[in-house]
Amino acid sequence: MTLLIAICVAVLFAVSIYLILGRELKEVAMGVFLLGHGANLGILAMSGQPLARVSDDEVISLSAPVLDIASTPLVDPLPQALILTAIVISFAVMAFLLTLLVVTHRRTGILDIRDLSHEDAPLLSAEL
Amino acid sequence: MLRPDLIVLLVVIPMAAGILTTLLRGWVAVQRLVGLFSLVSIIFLAVGYLLHIYPGGVETTQAGDWPAPFGISIVLDELSALLIIAANVVGLCCYLHAFTSLEDKIERDWFHPLFHLMMMGVNYCFITGDLFNLFVAFEITLMASYGLICLGATRQQLTQAYKYVMLNLIGSTFFVLGAGLVYGLMGTLNFADLARLTHEAALNGEGMPAGFEAVAIMLFFVFALKAALFPLWFWLPDTYHTCPIAIGALFVGLLTKVGIYAMLRVFPMVFIAPELRETSPILTIIAVGAGLTMILAIIAAVAMQNIRRILALTLVSHIGYLGFGIAMMTPDGLAGAVYYMLQHMVVMAALFLCCGLIERIGGSDDLSRVSGLHRRAPYLSVLFLVAAMSLVGLPPLSGFYGKLLLIREGFALVDKGYWVLSVTSLLTGILTMIAMIKIWALAFWSPPVREAASAVTKDTGSNLAPAYVGVTVLVLGSISMALGAEMVIGMTRSATVYAGDPSVYVNAVMGNNAWESSVIATHEMQAPTLDIDTIAGHVEQPHRHDEEVHP
Repeated sequence: MTLLIAICVAVLFAVSIYLILGRELKEVAMGVFLLGHGANLGILAMSGQPLARVSDDEVISLSAPVLDIASTPLVDPLPQALILTAIVISFAVMAFLLTLLVVTHRRTGILDIRDLSHEDAPLLSAEL
Repeated sequence: MLRPDLIVLLVVIPMAAGILTTLLRGWVAVQRLVGLFSLVSIIFLAVGYLLHIYPGGVETTQAGDWPAPFGISIVLDELSALLIIAANVVGLCCYLHAFTSLEDKIERDWFHPLFHLMMMGVNYCFITGDLFNLFVAFEITLMASYGLICLGATRQQLTQAYKYVMLNLIGSTFFVLGAGLVYGLMGTLNFADLARLTHEAALNGEGMPAGFEAVAIMLFFVFALKAALFPLWFWLPDTYHTCPIAIGALFVGLLTKVGIYAMLRVFPMVFIAPELRETSPILTIIAVGAGLTMILAIIAAVAMQNIRRILALTLVSHIGYLGFGIAMMTPDGLAGAVYYMLQHMVVMAALFLCCGLIERIGGSDDLSRVSGLHRRAPYLSVLFLVAAMSLVGLPPLSGFYGKLLLIREGFALVDKGYWVLSVTSLLTGILTMIAMIKIWALAFWSPPVREAASAVTKDTGSNLAPAYVGVTVLVLGSISMALGAEMVIGMTRSATVYAGDPSVYVNAVMGNNAWESSVIATHEMQAPTLDIDTIAGHVEQPHRHDEEVHP
């Protein structure tokens, strides 16, 4: 299970690094979002195996951390709380970054990092 | 009066100011009053707490009254209090400066809410007691700073904003991953609990779990990116010189220091805890990074022709001094680093605000186009000279004491090779002098050029008084830090005691003499495998705690 998650994280990271190294701003933004997903999945792996050893020969799977905590064993809820917070934050950042892309495109008509850094390209509009 | 649980006010007041100024959008005068009230009250509150806890005290409160490793701890020690005071004084002065230097349209466009939310994030960074909340505080600060850096949305700003936003996003991702890994390795995120576990492992003669140092280096990368240490400083000069100067000065004063604070807090207590200090590679990495930052950035600064770029590169170079102090990890080194950090916040912000006034009066920040300011603005010349010489470290001024502590300590540790960094610091001091003299000679001391004089008149009608008040307060702050150097260094010495002996901090946060009686809860040093008993223990703990507190 952990190996599976590790492979997923590795794939996400590889894809996002490929995207971040691109020149198109949209690609870079997508790469950054994927990087965040990879990190969240990595944290999920930190909550350990979703299995608990009850006795020497019996292994049961743990349940989700909801209200019925007296009767069943639970997975560690803390990493999930961390991921939830991280998701909310990355959601806000994603909104900001996409807005920035839109504003940049409206003002300059460019979404390519090379063209954007040319000083002499014209400014399309003063409006946002 | 100063109850321990009221330290949350240090975060709540700026948050309230942020919300209020959002609601009052358009009523600039009221927004300004709300903002000034928020900043001034934070300064008074932080001074009150500092006097209350000094020497050696720690104020702590647990969110929701959940006991320490389970709930969120909020901790105010002397280091936090000192930094909050300095940060808010810098914030106040930049705020005053912004009244005159920001265009009306930009000030109306969300400047006030973003400013206060950023102050909230910075204050929260300084008082949070666990790693994940440090991440959250970083994010609050960064989100607000993304907004501030794009205010006005000129083409240059947009281009540079991508660099800033992308780099910080990647940094944040690694931070959250690092925090997750720390939880996986240690089973806790609370600084005090982490320090206790490291201590316990050392007492039992166990090594740290595999990957411990890898996580440390991952977090070091994040903090070094925020602090702009070599080789991660390339984004700073580009970004800081595009945004409006009052906002640039605020970033200069606060954002890089937040990264340094995170290093000061996390590394001495956890990753290079006193027991691990001899073997850890991190101190060497910090030392090399600090030395290269100092010398390379200042060489670049001397070559620049533009005041903002010179100042931004000088800022980066002097971050190296802070890294130098942290790398030595001795009481004097850390006290010097904290003192230097406080004075650097104040002086650097003062220089940037001076630069704003130079642009206003001289019409440009290009050294080939500004001249003769000592005639036109004699008072500004005095302010700039004092701030610049303080940065250089001329003896009666505040930079001198910080450098003295650091360099002397470096030579005292000659057998460990720190003398190299001391020599680098001295060299950097000389080069800083050259960079500052360059600005002084070309912009202030040179005879006025007629052409430049005509470009000026457009702005003289507007009221520059608040800007001057801001710069004056900062320069006076720097001078008073020099006059009271003995007292301030005493405070920084006491504020960094935790780095050698975290027992006071740990006991204050965890309670029950946690440091001495090293086992208090069923913590294991691996990924937690939970069963019913530990879950029940976790859940019942707060209620038991409640009964103890209110019998």
